[in-house]
Parts: sequence; C-alpha cells; structure tokens
Amino acid sequence: MSTLNDQEAGTLPDGTSPVQPAAAPQSFWTGRSEFVVPGLILALAIFLTYQTATMEVMGSSVPGPQFFPTIVCVLLYLVAIVHIVQIIRHPQPADPTNDSSNPDFSAEMLGDLASATDRGRSKIEGRTPDAKLPQNWKTYSDWKTVGAIVAAVAGFALLLKLVGWILCASALFWVVSRALGSKRAIFDISIALLFASLIQLAFNAGLGLNLPGGFLEGLL
Amino acid sequence: MEQLNLLFEGFQHALTPMNLLWVLLGAILGTAVGVLPGLGSSMAVALLLPITFSLDPTAAFIMFAGVYYGGLFGDSTSGILLNTPGNSSAIASTFEGHRMARNGLAAKALATAAMGAFIGGLLATTVVVFFAPTLVKLATAFGPAEYFALAVFAFLAISSVVSESIVKGLMSLGVGLALAMVGVDGPSGTVRYTLDIPQLFDGMSIVVITVGLLALGEVLHIASRIHRDPAAERVKPNGRPRLRKHDIKKAMPAWLRGTAFGLPFGIIPAGGSEVPTFLAYGTEKRLAKRRGDIEFGQIGSIRGVAAPEAAANATAGTAMGALLALGLPTSATAAIMLAAFQQYGMQPGPLLFERSGDMVWALLASLFIGLVILLILNMQFAVLWAKLLMVPRHYLYAGITVFSVLGVYAISSSTLDLWVLLGIALIGFVMRRYDLPLAPVLIAVILGPLAETELRRALTVSEGDVTALVSSPTTIILYGILLAALLFSGAKHLHRRARQRTDDSEGNKELIDA
Repeated sequence: MSTLNDQEAGTLPDGTSPVQPAAAPQSFWTGRSEFVVPGLILALAIFLTYQTATMEVMGSSVPGPQFFPTIVCVLLYLVAIVHIVQIIRHPQPADPTNDSSNPDFSAEMLGDLASATDRGRSKIEGRTPDAKLPQNWKTYSDWKTVGAIVAAVAGFALLLKLVGWILCASALFWVVSRALGSKRAIFDISIALLFASLIQLAFNAGLGLNLPGGFLEGLL
Repeated sequence: MEQLNLLFEGFQHALTPMNLLWVLLGAILGTAVGVLPGLGSSMAVALLLPITFSLDPTAAFIMFAGVYYGGLFGDSTSGILLNTPGNSSAIASTFEGHRMARNGLAAKALATAAMGAFIGGLLATTVVVFFAPTLVKLATAFGPAEYFALAVFAFLAISSVVSESIVKGLMSLGVGLALAMVGVDGPSGTVRYTLDIPQLFDGMSIVVITVGLLALGEVLHIASRIHRDPAAERVKPNGRPRLRKHDIKKAMPAWLRGTAFGLPFGIIPAGGSEVPTFLAYGTEKRLAKRRGDIEFGQIGSIRGVAAPEAAANATAGTAMGALLALGLPTSATAAIMLAAFQQYGMQPGPLLFERSGDMVWALLASLFIGLVILLILNMQFAVLWAKLLMVPRHYLYAGITVFSVLGVYAISSSTLDLWVLLGIALIGFVMRRYDLPLAPVLIAVILGPLAETELRRALTVSEGDVTALVSSPTTIILYGILLAALLFSGAKHLHRRARQRTDDSEGNKELIDA
C-alpha cells in the first residue's frame, strides 16, 4: 500500500519492468500463447466459409445473402494471418504489471493528446506497477478462480428450471464471492439468500415477470 | 423557434410524477454504476433492457437517459478517491483530481467534476435541441451509399484509427460482424449460421452479447487477476462538496473549453469521450504551463478536473443527438442505446422524429431534468456515493454475475440464452487477456445488419456497379476523411514500431511496452 504512495510522491516509478519468473523454461511457446486468438479467428472463418458455401439460398437477389459474409471471411483470414506473423516475430511474455490496459484506445495517442509525462503514460496504459505473480505460479491467468465461476454459471444454467431461482441464484452468488476471496462463508449464505429473494420479490410483484420457482414452487 | 415549442411539449410529457420517478431511478442507478469501478453505462443499459421491457417505451427511455448521463457523473469518483479510474473516460480527470484529493481537496475535486459534467451535458443537450432538425434534414437526403459510407466510417474509425492495434481492432470487428450475420437474412429470407437452432433464427440477442462481453467477461477477467493484483489505497472525502465564488471563476473557462472540445466529438464515430477528454486535459496542461501555474501537476489544479469532465458529458450529449437524428451510434454506449430503440421496434434516424416525435422530445426534455437531478445527487451526496467504493469486490462481482444471468434469462426465459452468455463471456475473457478491443465488436453487432442491407441495396440499384458507392459528394468526403485518418494512424504505428526496434537493439527492454 505504501509503495503506491511513495511512487506518487515524486520519484519516478520503474513500473515498466515486467516481473519475470526466475527460471521459466524458454520454449517456442513462451510469450506466444496468443496463438489462441488467430486460432479461434481461423476456426470462425472456416466455419463461416463452410456454412456460406453450403447455404440454401432463397430468392435470387443480386448481391445475395452470401455476398457480405464473403467479405467478412476474407477480412478474418487476412487479419488472422497477419496476426500469426506478428506473434512469431514479436512474442509477448506475460507481464503482470501491464494487465488492465484498455485496447479500445491507443495509449500512445491519448498520451500525446494529453502531453503526458512518463508517469502519466504509464497510468493511461493502466499499469499496476506492484502486481506480482504468486511464488509458484504455473499459468499467467488464475484458472482455478476462473474455472470456479464458469462452473458456477454452467451449473446455474443446468439447474435453474429444476431447482428454482432463489436457490440457484444464491448458490451462484455464494460460489462467485467465495472464489473471489470472501472469507465469511456463513455470513455469505445469508447475503446470497437475501439478494436472490429480493430479486424474486421485485420481479414477481413489481414487474410481473416470472422467475422459475423450482421444487419450492408450492411452498412459496 | 419550432424546436422550443416541441421541447416545451416534451417537458409537459416528462414532468408527470411517474416519469420524474423514472428519471430519478435512472439517475441513481447511473451514478451507482458510474461510481463502482469496472462498470459502465453501456453495461447498465444492457442489463436493464430485458427488465424494463414491460414498461412503456417513453418511461424506459427516460430511465435510460438518467443512466446514460449518470454513468458519466459518477465515473470520476473512484478515479479521484482511489486513483483507479472506473472507466477509461475518467482517466484524464484522475490526474489532477487525485492530486487534489491527496492534498485534502477531495470534496472540491468531486464538486468540480459534478459541475463540469452538468455544464458539458447542459450545453450539449441545448445544441442537440437546436440542431437536431438540421441533422434530420441532412439525413433525409442520405441514400443507401451514404449510410453504408457512414457505417464503414464508424467501423474503421473505431477498430483501426483510435484503437491500440489495427490488426486486433479488425479482428474484433470481424467477430462482431460474424455475430451480427447469425439469423434469417432479411432481404432474401435465407437462414444463416444458426446451426438449425430455432431460437437463433431471430439472430443473436444484443443483450446477451453485451452482457456477456462487458459484464460476465469482466467478472472472469477480474477472477483471473484478483488474487494477484495489489489493492488500491483510498482517500476519504470530508465535508460537503462546495465550490466558492473564486473556484467557479477559476474553473468556468476550463468548463467551457472542455465543452467546446466535447461537442464535435459526439458526432464523429471515434469511440466516445476518451479522445476529447485527453485533448481537453492536454490543453489545460499547456495553458497552465504558459501561465506559469504551479498548482497544475503539483497540488492539483481545479481546471485539470473541470475541462475533461465537461468534455466527457458534452460528447455524450451530442452523441445522443447523432443517434436520434442520424441513427448513427458514435460510441459503444450509444450503440447499446440504439439497440434499446430497436428492442422497442423503433429505428433512430430521420423517421423517428416524424413517427415518434412525442417520445423523442419527451426524451430530450428528460435529459435536461436528468442533468439537474444528477447535479443535486452528486453535489449533496457525493460523500455518500463514495461509500459505494467500500463494497467488497467479491460481493460486487458476485452481484454482477447474478444480475447478468437474471437479465439474460429475463429476455425470453430460455436456458439456451444462458449457455450463449457463458460462451460470449469466455470470448470476452480471451479478448481481455490478449488486449483485443471490445468496442468494435459492439459497434459491428449493431451496425453490421445496417451496413449489409444498405450495401446490397446500393449495389442492386446500380446493378452491381461498385463506383455507385463513391459517386456522391457526401460519400467522397466521408471516405476521404477516413482514408486520411487511417494513413495518419498507420504512419503513427509504423513510427512507434521503428522506435521500438531501435530501443530493442540498444537493449533497452523497458521501453518496449511504453
């Protein structure tokens, strides 16, 4: 906490040096996990190409329903290939200090517009100079936490009709807050139940929309 | 002065007790969403869309208007107090705002921001009232080729000119266009990319896409980081925000300059308020330097907060004008507002003023009312709002997760939508992890169908002659500006790459990411 303040107080922070793991094995894939992105884009493009080619075209308008998708497919193939070349030429090792950037806008451009200092630019890029990976990390992303939340949402989708809104939504709330670091398991149960019940009440009474009651239907 | 009469009638519609309640509710929700870090107005409107579907459209839009402006009122709070701007539109006002907060002027900074947002929004909405009819007249002269040119302009400006990487921007654009093509093709009736799932024949729901990308995707992103990032330190504001006469005198020119930067950017599809806020901040900084102002950059200057905040809301105001009169969304938030109109079966653009004139003028009137309510809410209760920052992050994101599934399920009570939501959220997570911009996806999903229809219409009329797309002065001007902007930003990217390479060869690895 105090380090943040010290840096703010004047001394230029060296927030830009990525924290490298001491002995990460250097394979071809280091810093190139980004191949996932062009891989997915290519998969999407191939799917679109196949579906466009086998489409049952109705009507005889020219240009028809395959015209625009063809343009989109060409665009996808082109950018995927360029991106693959970029990743091969410039691998990007995972850098925990440079995470929350906003790629919607070029930080360079915004920095120029604001005639920002180096510290200002590092802030525009959304750097977190103090971010560190835990000691014995294996992956950059915390897949355990992400997995817990994905599983909770999937479970919610599976069980909603059967078990009903109140229990499902409470369970979802509870799992997500636990996964994100809440320590008070019992207290969380009451918060989750209260939250889910309030939504059910507001919906059924106020807006006239029906949320599934599940097996509690008769009791409530 | 026909507009004034219409606006007066609009006020009569908007000033009913029920509608005032909706404005108030929207303003409270909007401010809350703005204050809470990581949430924006676009996500809030998307979550509200299915829930408000049972309301009558005027009431719903009056509430959305409150949310739309409210998000921009609140977003500077976390930047000023925590030094972590909640939204990228608040980064520029964070610089001086947080400096003021650390020097015990947090309340004054919050008041300057709120007042700036009010002035920017007020002037912009006034401009919209007077110029909307002119824009409408302009737009009625637009044919298919012109609309296609506008859509292409929006696509490329947002994905390539302002974004971090041209390649990644175009990828996001392609993903958005692909999502937009799912469903039955309007002109021909052909079923496309639905995998024979009947629920997809109407296309992917924009609510599912927005909530998946912006809300649940953000939760997954936070989850991948929360146990690794350091916590931010919080400055407590004390006292009620109040501006003294000399503060107002000092800030007034900055508020007006900021507004002047913001107004034109609402009409240009450049992705929203980021560019004008930084431009306004940069101008204040240069002026302070020339003036020899020692406050700026040291103890925090009130002007450095005033200008960007006014610019942000001025942009939002004229963006609403461009949306209503031209049907052109210039930012992701405006795109969601467009989706909201479509949900109610209305198409923003010149015809909207003819067909739903009452609603449009009531909406414009409620924008004014919303601004006044927001100013009171933010000046009187700023300290109270700041308490929202104490909500622990795990409860905040658990709440967002539950609201996401609620909103998506409420669209059509279908569990299939929930699975689509999870899929889109995972896409959103991967996009955040690898720095792919999200705004181009939203713009493409919403403008994609329009672009396709107008392109095909233009080519059908010209019997396949492609030059018809660039045959009118409007299209030539639009493509000309776009080309110039693309060349300029391409040159910038190349320049940066060249500099990176020289840094690389000097072994100065730190600067690569800078």
